[in-house]
Amino acid sequence: MSASLDRSAPGPLLVVDDLHTGFQTERGLVRAVDGVSFTLERGRSLGVVGESGSGKTILSRSIMGLLPGRNLVRSGSVRFEGVDITHFSPKQMRGIWGKEMAMVFQDPMSSLNPLMRIGNQVSEPLRVHLGMPDKLAMATAEKLLRDVGISEAQRRLRQYPHELSGGMRQRVMIAIALACGPTMLFADEPTTALDVTVQAQILALINDQRRDRNMSLILVTHDLGVVAGHTDEIAVMYAGRLVEQAPTRTLFTQMKMPYTQALMESIPKLDQPSHTRLRTIPGRPPDLVNPPRGCPFAPRCAFARDRCREERPELIDATSPGHRFACWYPVGSPEYLETKQRIDAADAAGSAA
Amino acid sequence: MTVTIDLEQAIAEEATTRRRRRRPGSLGAWLGAAWLLLIGGMAVFADYLPFVRGYAQQVPYARNFAVHPGSDFWFGSDQLGRDVFARCIYGARVSLLVAISSILVGLTVGGVLGLAAGYFRGKTDRGVSIVADCLLAFPPVVIAILIVGRLDALSETGFSVLWWHPTRTWSVVIVLSLLSIAPITRIVRAQTLSLSQREFVVAARSIGANRRRILLREILPNLVPAMISVAFTGIAILLVAEGTLAFLGYSVKVPTPTWGYLINESRPKLRDAWWPTIFPCLMLFLTVVSFNLIGDRIARHFDVKEAAL
Repeated sequence: MSASLDRSAPGPLLVVDDLHTGFQTERGLVRAVDGVSFTLERGRSLGVVGESGSGKTILSRSIMGLLPGRNLVRSGSVRFEGVDITHFSPKQMRGIWGKEMAMVFQDPMSSLNPLMRIGNQVSEPLRVHLGMPDKLAMATAEKLLRDVGISEAQRRLRQYPHELSGGMRQRVMIAIALACGPTMLFADEPTTALDVTVQAQILALINDQRRDRNMSLILVTHDLGVVAGHTDEIAVMYAGRLVEQAPTRTLFTQMKMPYTQALMESIPKLDQPSHTRLRTIPGRPPDLVNPPRGCPFAPRCAFARDRCREERPELIDATSPGHRFACWYPVGSPEYLETKQRIDAADAAGSAA
Repeated sequence: MTVTIDLEQAIAEEATTRRRRRRPGSLGAWLGAAWLLLIGGMAVFADYLPFVRGYAQQVPYARNFAVHPGSDFWFGSDQLGRDVFARCIYGARVSLLVAISSILVGLTVGGVLGLAAGYFRGKTDRGVSIVADCLLAFPPVVIAILIVGRLDALSETGFSVLWWHPTRTWSVVIVLSLLSIAPITRIVRAQTLSLSQREFVVAARSIGANRRRILLREILPNLVPAMISVAFTGIAILLVAEGTLAFLGYSVKVPTPTWGYLINESRPKLRDAWWPTIFPCLMLFLTVVSFNLIGDRIARHFDVKEAAL
């Protein structure tokens, strides 16, 4: 079955088309991913950004087919290497997992088996998928550990996860994910559980490995700052939908969606004077069982008008290539500017008083 | 200055009290282990120990409880002039053997059922849970009497398969195994359910590990600590259960003594002689306590939450 996957097949590596993923609960269907479409070329990286609960983790796991089958409602299509893998059986998926797609998880503290030596955990995919003999697998594991910047790799092979620090364990996780040379790497908030000083190293490591191995990368995070320097493209998710997608530079300079802008304003920037108040986004993400009729962000959006609350905006192309957004009154539109003026005036009046 | 000193002292005191507080649990477990080693050792090597008489050996001058506990007969003598100490030691053999083999059967069967139910969930889980609930719903004594009675009847017909024919020891092991399966299944199921949701299991799946690998290499090893502690607590319960069976006359056949049988045997004569009843009670009590202490200690060490035992 994995023979049907052809690494040299032309066309994009991953095409996700109108992917819906939901969970049947007592309250009703929770629409965690609600009609997401995007295309990822070989060797490119995509950052998926959103608040917690926006469906970004579910999106990556749904693409990989890792979600538990019970109560799961999934529709749409995922084409990988030109093959529709949406309805692959678990057995068929096992041929893809590890070899073609791999994932680095959020919490390195809990994603390694506490009772298995590092060496066994790193060499296991090599033995299982590539059928390497034990000795060769161990040697390769050692090389992998060195690749991901672990010192004294030989000694580490014999250690257990609890003997390693968080950053080291995340490096081990990356080594495991890279072991069989996947063409597609998912990194699900790989730095959230780590110390700030280690975050940059891990991100740089993932990116270096991506470049060296010509992998595609989907980097899921809630931190715009994390994806800024490390991905070619950024997709912003809100309430299970993509609300804006653009090449990184375009997104940061010409963002269209007030939500993206709000996200941006909520992170501190170096060029701002000190003690500048960070703007928070008022309210909470919408209920995914009964999402609002119009734009899901409308209830929290300062620029929302009646139309936003009534009609759902679809993703439309912006003027610059590769830039899509879903908003009736995007940043820069006359209606936006009008509201903006009013808000600024109110702010000025407020601070004057 | 004084403040600093006070603080240091306070920290030192805190440390010692904490150490002191932690000790009793471990101490109990170590004493328990020592007791089990002693009893186990004597039971295994009883035939070679010079101070242990034969369990059926009748000493004429000791008839009718003639000898009180002392240097000759450590635990006194019984009505037939047999050494109560020796009978206790040989009793340990049968009692421990029966309890341990039953818990092993229980762990194997319950482990497989619980693992399957917890990992595959769905229909498998429902089926296994119904079976476990049924087993738990039966009054244990009724099951015991039923099975022992049927196997006795079978045994009288001279039934045998190859070398095996049903003896009372087999009946007791079968009964106790059956009783231990359901609670173990429940615990293993609960543990497997929570383990299979853990990130490292999803991580193993994401690199393409198959079911067998996940069950055997990811989940099973992580179940072992809980299983060890369940086994110890379970043995303690089974020892008492065997005693109950013996009390009802449904345990291993005379003359092979078990603790339950010994306790029951001289009970009517408790007024004339306390020792043939009290000493086996004491042995059973200490052994059960030991198993429990060790089981608890292990559970605490591995932070196991006992769900259904």
